[in-house]
Amino acid sequence: MTVTLTNPLREGLRLARTPEPACLVIFGASGDLTARKLMPALYNLALQHLLPASFAVIGSARRRMTTDAFRDELHDAVAEFSRTRPISEEVWGTFARSIHYVPTPDDRSYDDLRDVLARVDAQIGANGNRLFYLATPPAAYEPIIRAIGAHGLRGERGSSRVVVEKPYGHDLPSAMQLTSVVQEVFREDEVFRIDHYLGKETVQNLLVLRFANSIFEPIWTRQYVDHVQITAAESIGIEERAGYYDSVGATRDIVQNHLLQLLALVGMEPPAAFDDRSVRDEKVKVLRALRRIPSDKTGELTVRGQYGPGFIGGERVPGYRDEHDVAPDSQTETFVALKCFIDNWRWEGTPFYIRAGKRLPKRSTEIAIRFRVAPHRIFTREASDGLEANELVIRIQPDEGISLTFGAKVPVQGLRIRSVNMDFGYGESFMVDAPDSYETLILDALRGDATLFTRRDEVEQQWAFVDPILAGWHEGRQGLATYAAGSWGPEQADALIERDGRAWRRP
Amino acid sequence: MAAAVIDEGFWGAEATGIAALEHELARLRRAAVAQAKERGLTLARASVLNLVVYAEREVHARRAARTISALALRHPSRGIVVLGDRDREGVLASVRLHCHVPQGDGAQPVLYEQILARVRGDFDERVASVVIPLLVPDLPVFLWWTGTPPSDARHLDDLVKLADRFIVDSADFARPDRTLPRIADVARLRPSGVGITDLNWARLTHWRELIAQFFDVPAWRPFLDGITGIRAGFAVDMDGRDIHPSQALLLLGWLASRLGWQPVEALAPSEAGGLLFRMRRADRAPVMVRLRPRFERGLDAGDVSGVRIQSTAGRRTAEFVIKRAPDDRHATATVIVDGAVRSERVVPLPPVGIRELLGEELAIVGNDNVYEDALSALMALV
Repeated sequence: MTVTLTNPLREGLRLARTPEPACLVIFGASGDLTARKLMPALYNLALQHLLPASFAVIGSARRRMTTDAFRDELHDAVAEFSRTRPISEEVWGTFARSIHYVPTPDDRSYDDLRDVLARVDAQIGANGNRLFYLATPPAAYEPIIRAIGAHGLRGERGSSRVVVEKPYGHDLPSAMQLTSVVQEVFREDEVFRIDHYLGKETVQNLLVLRFANSIFEPIWTRQYVDHVQITAAESIGIEERAGYYDSVGATRDIVQNHLLQLLALVGMEPPAAFDDRSVRDEKVKVLRALRRIPSDKTGELTVRGQYGPGFIGGERVPGYRDEHDVAPDSQTETFVALKCFIDNWRWEGTPFYIRAGKRLPKRSTEIAIRFRVAPHRIFTREASDGLEANELVIRIQPDEGISLTFGAKVPVQGLRIRSVNMDFGYGESFMVDAPDSYETLILDALRGDATLFTRRDEVEQQWAFVDPILAGWHEGRQGLATYAAGSWGPEQADALIERDGRAWRRP
Repeated sequence: MAAAVIDEGFWGAEATGIAALEHELARLRRAAVAQAKERGLTLARASVLNLVVYAEREVHARRAARTISALALRHPSRGIVVLGDRDREGVLASVRLHCHVPQGDGAQPVLYEQILARVRGDFDERVASVVIPLLVPDLPVFLWWTGTPPSDARHLDDLVKLADRFIVDSADFARPDRTLPRIADVARLRPSGVGITDLNWARLTHWRELIAQFFDVPAWRPFLDGITGIRAGFAVDMDGRDIHPSQALLLLGWLASRLGWQPVEALAPSEAGGLLFRMRRADRAPVMVRLRPRFERGLDAGDVSGVRIQSTAGRRTAEFVIKRAPDDRHATATVIVDGAVRSERVVPLPPVGIRELLGEELAIVGNDNVYEDALSALMALV
């Protein structure tokens, strides 16, 4: 029996708790995600003293490469993509010594990986704690997980955990299939499914706003809320992701994971505690109560669009079908708008409008809670001409913050009312760089805190909502509308909300 | 005395009373908003805390005022600088209103306020009555005392009673062995307690983190219970005349309180003004402690420059060493077990300025029990 002694020096230290010693094994180590996100995040964690004193990274991929070459490659990547620059060569030097590379071109080579892992583990005293990170294309997930099991890559003692990147499946059956493979090797509490939106500061702040303040929760219901709008607008096109994007589209890329997570966080009941189980239980309840849009209703409740040529920031940009690597008759949607309902006591009859798209006029992700107008109008129509209903807007990116609009008297003789804005920006209030979402999530996974990761049942509920919509489109129940790049999406999207006497916000 | 003339260029216009001061504040606010409008900006008046600075020297007051200004974006505050001048009569307040406009697209300009209250003559009984009407209601009050806090002083007691947090910098204390223990008494001045912040303690945060990290590693954890000796160096200036051991003492107080050590005796000052202590672990085994002043280029007097922890566990011996690198931005953390280096890494240890320290501390309103424990351990020691 091993007795874990606590460290009395830890008490009261204001830096976040550093995780226990561990080896991080990255599959897909020669890929883009490792270079652009994971390594810069790890380096910045090292810079903040947040990595354990005993820590090693073992990269693995098909490509044959020496550890030295791997370190050099990562050095250049971190120097280019780190959020803090220039990088400290001294800190990198120490960190780089803990990085190793083992090529795994075939099944047999996983034995080499196991041996290196065992040696490094013993060397640094990681005690068998391991975190496996799947940063590969999704097709490689299942073979790698099986290899982890078959070649005994899990340590004999200590904790073993696995981080799975998105996309997690491409529909409900494939997600369930992946889960069943994962569970051949890992217990559910050892699985960390990444949704990097959940690592964003403002998304966590949404929980703080709702559940650390007593003034918002009482009005967070159908009685006071007229409707909710969730927007994820990007001004960029598909850049170098054409091959991947053309096979998934906006619904699978953004809505199924990120936007449904935001919807769950806005709509959920207060959890009893801020821990992985309580928070995720409440999120699943909302997702389960989310009314399905059956395929024969997709014509009424959904809009899908694809951008044509247009202008972004004064620059002429090509249409989607003219993009490199996209078929000239592609039916992939680059814009989606939905109207949905949460069938529970709190939200009955309150519509949630969701939209996401590429090549929209500006980059903006936000949640807007539109409240009902005052029940009785005591001011004359002229006086309250400039007055709109109260609105609480939670901006997620860029320019994270919260604003509230309310009516105020214009300072003139006589009564005129205008909507004014009370604005709070995280950046200006705290003046610190928010940590990158990957820093937050890697640290949480190393500590074994799964609160900000997606649980199996959440993923399944998300697919169960999205699948019938995609099926309806496939059956041709809602045609693909085109919109000019640089506009706020197709006219049909405006019609979707205007039918209800409402309008999209201009973020 | 020439210093009696207020430098209006720095402190702003002078007001003759509280009402006149409020009037002047309103005028300055409107002017700032009008100016911002001309540039197409909207101006947010922001205030998240009251920061009262007490100083008896104009140079301290100015330094504090500049620090508050630099922090205005992160902690926009109503800054009230109280400058005590015992040589002259009267109370004079002057207002300085700052408008900080950050550059860049979509940035929100923030308006914040700074007031200088110059109290003169025999002001001990009067000083609180000047400060109270100037506080913004409902916001926490931070009191930043520059210099060494006096004992049994009416003005200190009165101001502390207004405060939620009391900020000092023990690096400035003339006799830390006498003043440090007294700081703990200040916390009890208010029934609900006053949180104490020692900026010098904040300077130790990274050191504490690095030391604690050694013992997060399960293989090294047993050595924490078998410490036999501590050596710490702290910086002195070239001639070595002024010794400021507060920071090193706090580090020792922290280890002693967390690990349950008791003092046995303070041995005579060692060579070159060092301090030597014999302590006793919870299992009664002895711990020898030596705090040594060293000349270190680039460090402020009193800053800890290195720590060496010697330990045994069973038959094994180990040394845990953190040494500041000569480049002043890094440290080396080394673990030596049975004479062989088991781990050596370079970690960032950048010097932290007063601005960063204060900014960090202003984010915390609650009590720091670990600091108070470290102080209590020190009290038993010195």
